[in-house]
Amino acid sequence: MTVAPQRPPSIVGNGPAVHAPRQAPPPHPARSVWARILGRPTGSTGDRPLVVMRHVSKVYPNGKVALREVDLGIPEGDFVFLVGPSGAGKSTLIKLLIRDEIATSGDVILDGQNLARIKRRAVPKVRRRIGIVFQDYKLLPQRTVWENVAFALEVTATPSRLIRPAVDRVLAVVGLTGQARQLPATLSGGEQQRTAIARALVHDPRLIIADEPTGNLDPLISWEILQLLLRINELGVTVLMATHNADVVTALRRRVVALEEGRIARDQVGGAYHRED
Amino acid sequence: MIGFIAFSVRRAWQGFWRNAVMSFAATATMILMLLLLSGFWVLQSGLNATLQFVEQKVEVVADVRGSASLDQVNALAAEVRALPEVASVEFVDPEAALARFRARLAEQGREDITQYLDRNPLQGSLEVKLRDAAVFGTVVDVLRNRTDVVSGVKEIQKLVDDVLAITGVLRTAGVIVILLVGLTVLFIIVNTIRLAVVARAEEIEIMRLVGASDGFIRWPFVFEGALVGLIGAGVTLGLLALVAPSLGRLMFDVFTVLPLEFGTLARDLAILVLGAGLGLGVFGSWVSVRSYLIR
Ligand SMILES: Nc1ncnc2c1ncn2[C@@H]1O[C@H](COP(=O)(O)OP(=O)(O)O)[C@@H](O)[C@H]1O
Ligand SMILES: [Mg+2]
Repeated sequence: MTVAPQRPPSIVGNGPAVHAPRQAPPPHPARSVWARILGRPTGSTGDRPLVVMRHVSKVYPNGKVALREVDLGIPEGDFVFLVGPSGAGKSTLIKLLIRDEIATSGDVILDGQNLARIKRRAVPKVRRRIGIVFQDYKLLPQRTVWENVAFALEVTATPSRLIRPAVDRVLAVVGLTGQARQLPATLSGGEQQRTAIARALVHDPRLIIADEPTGNLDPLISWEILQLLLRINELGVTVLMATHNADVVTALRRRVVALEEGRIARDQVGGAYHRED
Repeated sequence: MIGFIAFSVRRAWQGFWRNAVMSFAATATMILMLLLLSGFWVLQSGLNATLQFVEQKVEVVADVRGSASLDQVNALAAEVRALPEVASVEFVDPEAALARFRARLAEQGREDITQYLDRNPLQGSLEVKLRDAAVFGTVVDVLRNRTDVVSGVKEIQKLVDDVLAITGVLRTAGVIVILLVGLTVLFIIVNTIRLAVVARAEEIEIMRLVGASDGFIRWPFVFEGALVGLIGAGVTLGLLALVAPSLGRLMFDVFTVLPLEFGTLARDLAILVLGAGLGLGVFGSWVSVRSYLIR
């Protein structure tokens, strides 16, 4: 039930599998051939904010103020870098979006739904619409690549006949078809992260949130992962990526939201990692 | 739905063996508790049966051997009747005893289980009523000395007093002991399952992140608790089945619970043990996963 796409067509659906994420970065904005073939209204930025944060503050129970009066809108189809020094509040902002934490004040609205107001029971459904990727991959060591990806569907009541084709398709998208039967420990860091991305994609989400996904990877592999996220974005999926990687951010000239001590210090399309003035 | 149950059962099974030591500790404690529970329950049933028997208001009863001849019995009856403190003596032969037992079953609205028997399992007995219920020493002595005719003597008045005293003590002591042991078992099961939950904290975190609903997180652990309960109940019933023959004889001798009644008693006991084991296991694990669900 979770696999059946509500909005046609899906990236994990009928599109031909894309391999080897080593090509040059595609031209911005994301109105590529792909997008047109797939018919998803990408690039229609501004019409329809997928994420809205209004005057959001977060104070942890110990009194630590992690976010102060944050205002942020992310239109559907956007690719946003979230930068800032360690402790600036990036992970906290992400936890609010996946409703792992609840804002102390202000509204966090995901696809029109106020996350503070939804019932506890509705939380899993919200999470299925978001793909989440972490620095430490969070793979299950005793399961193969294929099983790790299938796990996300297995635990969300997906009929088993739908699991196999969905997993095979996302593994093709991230280029891991050949490694499907391997355990995470036998993979490189980049392959492990691609497995995690495949798992994030398998529910066919509208939003991918990645919290420092390249934090444990060397520069070349980091580029690979970034290429993959960019291509996923081209297919119409909104991407929010928290990162420390200044080279990547500056080279790509995408939208950059910079946090400093819990405040948005800068929100700039085509921005660099560091302030340029 | 079937996928969900299969998923939960598979993970419960894996979980049970992954924490084998704690699982066995929990199961062993469960068995101990269930055995205690069974013991108290059997005692209680025995005492109730005795009280019922006592209500017949006969003061001394002598079981008559099947080997004794009618002449011998009548002679003994005459001898006892001649004693000054005796009001009346009646010989209830095995047929009459069976008829009386049937009447008692009918009175209680229960099925006549005696129809399944190929022979009468009951003994005849001499029932003595006394003028003064307090004086039965001589009667008992006389009856007891005739071992060729009499296989056992029950002093009812004394029995009534004893039974009432014991029942009172047992009721309170039993409830207290079972409560204490039950709480211990609950504590151990909660901790076993909690260990299992902690061991899989990472897996649970991933489940929550990919949008698993509470049921997918909770039920594997609940099934794991149920498994501990089921195995505990199974082993307990196995142990009880081993001692059942001697227990049955003991119950008959001490409490006058007939082998027939022992059958229904065993069935009730099986239900009690299974229910208590399963209930404790499920409740214990339900409590221990609560804190790991979505806040
Ligand atoms: N659960 C928590 N309880 C208390 N303080 C926290 C908690 N999580 C994060 N913090 C604090 O909030 C601030 C922001 O943290 P975080 O969002 O993790 O920053 P970043 O991801 O940008 O490094 C830090 O000072 C951190 O110590
Ligand atoms: Mg962080």
